[in-house]
Amino acid sequence: MNQVLEQISQIFLDLGASIALPIIITLFGVSLGEKLPRAFRAGVMIGIGFIGIGLVIGLLFGQVGPAAQGLAERFDVTLDIIDVGWPASAAIAFGSQVGAVSIPILLLLNFLLLAVGLTKTLNIDLWNYWHFAFIGGLVAASTGNFLMGITVAGIAMVLTLALADWAAPKIQSHYDYPDISFPHGTSAPYALLAAPLNWVFDRIPGFNKLKADPDSIQKRFGIFGESMILGLVIGLVLGLAGFGLDDPRADIIATLGLGINLAAVMLLLPRMVAILMEGLIPISEAARTFVSKKLPGRNFYIGLDSAIVIGQPAVIATSLLLVPVTLITAIALAPLGNRVLPLVDLATIPFIVALMVPMFKGNIVRSVVGGAIVIGIGLFIATAMAPAITQVATNSGFQNETGGLISSLVDGANPMTGLFFGLGNLGWAGIALLAGISFGFALWVSLKSKKTAKAKN
Amino acid sequence: MKKLLVICGTGVATSTVVAVKIKEFLLEEGIPVVISQGKVMDIVRGIEGYDLIVSTTPIPKTVTIPVIQGLPFLTGIGVENTLHQIADALR
Repeated sequence: MNQVLEQISQIFLDLGASIALPIIITLFGVSLGEKLPRAFRAGVMIGIGFIGIGLVIGLLFGQVGPAAQGLAERFDVTLDIIDVGWPASAAIAFGSQVGAVSIPILLLLNFLLLAVGLTKTLNIDLWNYWHFAFIGGLVAASTGNFLMGITVAGIAMVLTLALADWAAPKIQSHYDYPDISFPHGTSAPYALLAAPLNWVFDRIPGFNKLKADPDSIQKRFGIFGESMILGLVIGLVLGLAGFGLDDPRADIIATLGLGINLAAVMLLLPRMVAILMEGLIPISEAARTFVSKKLPGRNFYIGLDSAIVIGQPAVIATSLLLVPVTLITAIALAPLGNRVLPLVDLATIPFIVALMVPMFKGNIVRSVVGGAIVIGIGLFIATAMAPAITQVATNSGFQNETGGLISSLVDGANPMTGLFFGLGNLGWAGIALLAGISFGFALWVSLKSKKTAKAKN
Repeated sequence: MKKLLVICGTGVATSTVVAVKIKEFLLEEGIPVVISQGKVMDIVRGIEGYDLIVSTTPIPKTVTIPVIQGLPFLTGIGVENTLHQIADALR
């Protein structure tokens, strides 16, 4: 069994994601009842998205590499791991050994968990299966065992669904979205971390009274929200710091070049992902129709992307403040071992805090401090996982010509990804422990929600 | 031609789902429209030059353009209704 799986995944590796994915997606689409031409077109579109993302990441590597090197030489600040952001992480995940193969398996798993009552959430958001594929891909690459990778991806889904169920009542009442939960690989784990932080914050005299107004923050810090301008400014500052002004003419040209190129990366990278996404839509629709036919009339939460809460004023305000805070934190933690230079994912901070904010009841001061703590810890996780992420990226066809390391805040700095990667690397014993934790938590959450349901009746 | 802006948290994920559905529907209805996508963080300081916004996430108060809630496209409940609402607003 394992041998067959490994041979199949070897074929995919040899083909590369941009060739293998169109084939897999077409087959998957047809098997869900989609018409062949539409499924094939979707597959080709996904292949194109991959090539586009590869082009933009190449631009990012070529531009930031020399400046980061200069930064290390001039200031002795080693931030040489480039944050390629969630667009690249998602593409790397789907292009990994575990990648596309995991989508049908995970959908089936969600089905089973729903049927036996271990979750209340149906995750119809196939796009976000990349978070699980990312974890699985990392484990598969570092253990060299495909079956381990896919197993860990499955367990990650069990835990994420349980986290979504656990957070659902609080989030539903705070945001007023009935029957929706967020099994989102980035946001859900941070919701769990916010609960103990809030307990601590409640007990710090003075601090527990602090509040901030979202509207005035939006007005003052709005500039940090525009990723294009953010890329430009960071590029200019990084260029000035990295290249200096020893040779004014050449250095100024290099700095301006870095600014406009980083602005381009920030704008282009998400656009490329949109192509990938557009390809996935017909498949996602087919899956939704397929599932709703099989599970009619059952009462469950619809699992959605936490993107829909990003627009909440408190989330926006928190994220705007966290942009400079994250950069300063990264530099301050460099002497302690952080090597990640936050870049593309500065625009993805809203996803890290989206479900923390309701846990802090919309309090911006707490959300910023809590966010800074989890991102600060996350930087070390992202540093530790960088070699594995770089290897998976290379396997997926995203070569870094300059030979440097890459990582990301989403999900490279994610504590859940870190935990699953660390334990997954220990082999089957570690994976058994992960399964114990995840199924145990899922069982506890489902029993708890049954109890509340009974109390209500 | 009327201009429509579809907004979500990333300007990529859910807004693509919504934009594709609206595009298909308006094509059938014969309503010409230019559809752009964006993320909510890009418009916190306000935006101009569009006739209508469809958003899957709350829109900041600084935005004065009419907004239609796009959540039905994601949950699948009330899609037809929302599509007609959008068509009426753009006619």
